[in-house]
Amino acid sequence: MSTDTVSISDLLDAWARPEPPQPQEETGFFTDTTVCIGCKACEVACKQWNQLPADHFQWTGNSYDNTVTLSDTTWRHVAFVEQFDGHAGRWLMMSDVCKHCRLAPCYEVCPTGAIIYNEFGNVYVQQDICNGCGYCVAACPFGVLDRNHDDGRAHKCTLCYDRQKEGMEPACAKSCPTDSIRFGPITQLREEAKQRVEQLHARGETDAYLYGADAAGEYSALNSIFLLKDKPSVYNLPDAPRRPAAHLKTNYLLSFGAALGLAAVSALLFAREG
Amino acid sequence: MAMARPENVTDKGYYNLPFLKRPLWGWEIAWYFFCEGISAGAYLLATMAELFGRGRYRPMVRVARYLSFAFIVPAPPLLIADLGRPERFHHMLRVFKPMSPMNLGAWALSAYSLPVTLIAAQQAAEDGLPFTGLIPGAVRNLHTKTIAVAGLPAAMTMISYPGVLLSMTSTPVWTRSRWLGALISCSSMSMAVAATSLALRLSGSNDASLKVLNKIEKVAALAEAGTLAGYLLTSGETARPLTSGKQAKTMWAGAIACGLVLPALMTSGKREGKRGFGILGSLLTLAGGLALKWALTHAGRESALDPEANRYATSPNKSAPGWMPPTTQTNEVNRGTEIEKTEPRRH
Repeated sequence: MSTDTVSISDLLDAWARPEPPQPQEETGFFTDTTVCIGCKACEVACKQWNQLPADHFQWTGNSYDNTVTLSDTTWRHVAFVEQFDGHAGRWLMMSDVCKHCRLAPCYEVCPTGAIIYNEFGNVYVQQDICNGCGYCVAACPFGVLDRNHDDGRAHKCTLCYDRQKEGMEPACAKSCPTDSIRFGPITQLREEAKQRVEQLHARGETDAYLYGADAAGEYSALNSIFLLKDKPSVYNLPDAPRRPAAHLKTNYLLSFGAALGLAAVSALLFAREG
Repeated sequence: MAMARPENVTDKGYYNLPFLKRPLWGWEIAWYFFCEGISAGAYLLATMAELFGRGRYRPMVRVARYLSFAFIVPAPPLLIADLGRPERFHHMLRVFKPMSPMNLGAWALSAYSLPVTLIAAQQAAEDGLPFTGLIPGAVRNLHTKTIAVAGLPAAMTMISYPGVLLSMTSTPVWTRSRWLGALISCSSMSMAVAATSLALRLSGSNDASLKVLNKIEKVAALAEAGTLAGYLLTSGETARPLTSGKQAKTMWAGAIACGLVLPALMTSGKREGKRGFGILGSLLTLAGGLALKWALTHAGRESALDPEANRYATSPNKSAPGWMPPTTQTNEVNRGTEIEKTEPRRH
């Protein structure tokens, strides 16, 4: 009697919904831009691990930044800023990535439910569900997501979900030679980040601050924290990102109110004699 | 060490590049807004006339019913064509997520299609149109008023959600003002009235309903003008793509001149009630409505790619103080609450 026989219960199991993954400790990134050397190992590692296609190469003339922006095929982008006056000045270099917002606008607007928070608390686009409506592309306040021209779906940093499931750190964090990109439980990273800022302040570098460690008004905290040394706009980040859903209720109220009002006026005018 | 800050770096952000991505919506969505606005508006007019008109406006109700069906037919194909993966259009109905205006709209469109089709089928059967013998008796005997009322919430959502959908993005020209939803609602109603009047006149009718429609049109046009003013004023600089940018011509010549000013002139004073001017006025209103939807949809691209608009729309204020330390900002800053107090509601 062969043990390879497939029984009815095996066939039914194939249709049964599997157990969802158990929630794990929430992970994220802490990017300490003060130790970034601009080597772009993170860009290369990310491209290689995720098998992302090459982008159209261009000499931009913007310092060493020929990548320009995050996109559907670029999930790590190193920004270069040269602040020099003659021989005096400094370099500012930052490895930009998806912010993995704790309350992400892309997650809020996604109509198919393709964008979810996975068991590690990271924002993840399920590629088998996304139908390329493009709402997340317009909603992201950081311009992270884009729709791919060839496969028609939206793509962004997955925080190496596949590597995390195997207990590994993301490719970019692993390849970073100065440990500028740090990966780990977000609570631990926030502590590290705050301690680093205090250390820098004690050294006299009082312009160091954290971008995204806590909520900022209507915008949630980020699970990708950045240690910056100048205004966010210098690094091509929004100074104060807005949550698109912040005024949803007011917008609906005014919109429905206008339609209701006009419907009521029509009803009144139809009801009046001649 | 001297910390030099070359002006061109800090004032112009990062090499004067935008950080937002341009929205991917174009002509399919502009035409979709046009069609679904007329359809849902005509549905509302027909239902209001049927409920409150005491049977006086039968020809108008008939025409409006056909219009609401005819203009909803192109809507699903337009939306499906706009998708990156059109064959996955049904994924829109995979979840019910009213938080996302696009999901709410997909459900509203699905729910709205049923009453619109049933009522149009009934009307067609009543009029003895070809092939209506195939319509089952069950459909023919349905109580139209009940169906029409049952479809009202879906129709109201169809009119109200497009502007809200655009507002729930990061595109400066769409998010700065709270008036965009109301503007598009009023524009849709105005277009629906114009389409109904036009259809009535072209079918040779000189019905009393034309007088009422004219009055409704005046109110709708006023509301549209008011909400447009409100939208432009509250958008400030971010409305530049519409006022002086690539969409300015469409906006001023189309949406405002054709949509609001000229029709008002056509139907005022001695010209009021005259058939020729009435037809012209309706056509201009429709052209203006399309121009408005077109301009608003296409302004998104220019707005998102404008680095100044990007920076202007994300400069710190009371409700969104950002993360810059107080020394970098000029005003008192609310640093926000601890992370534990703002845990997001995820599903």
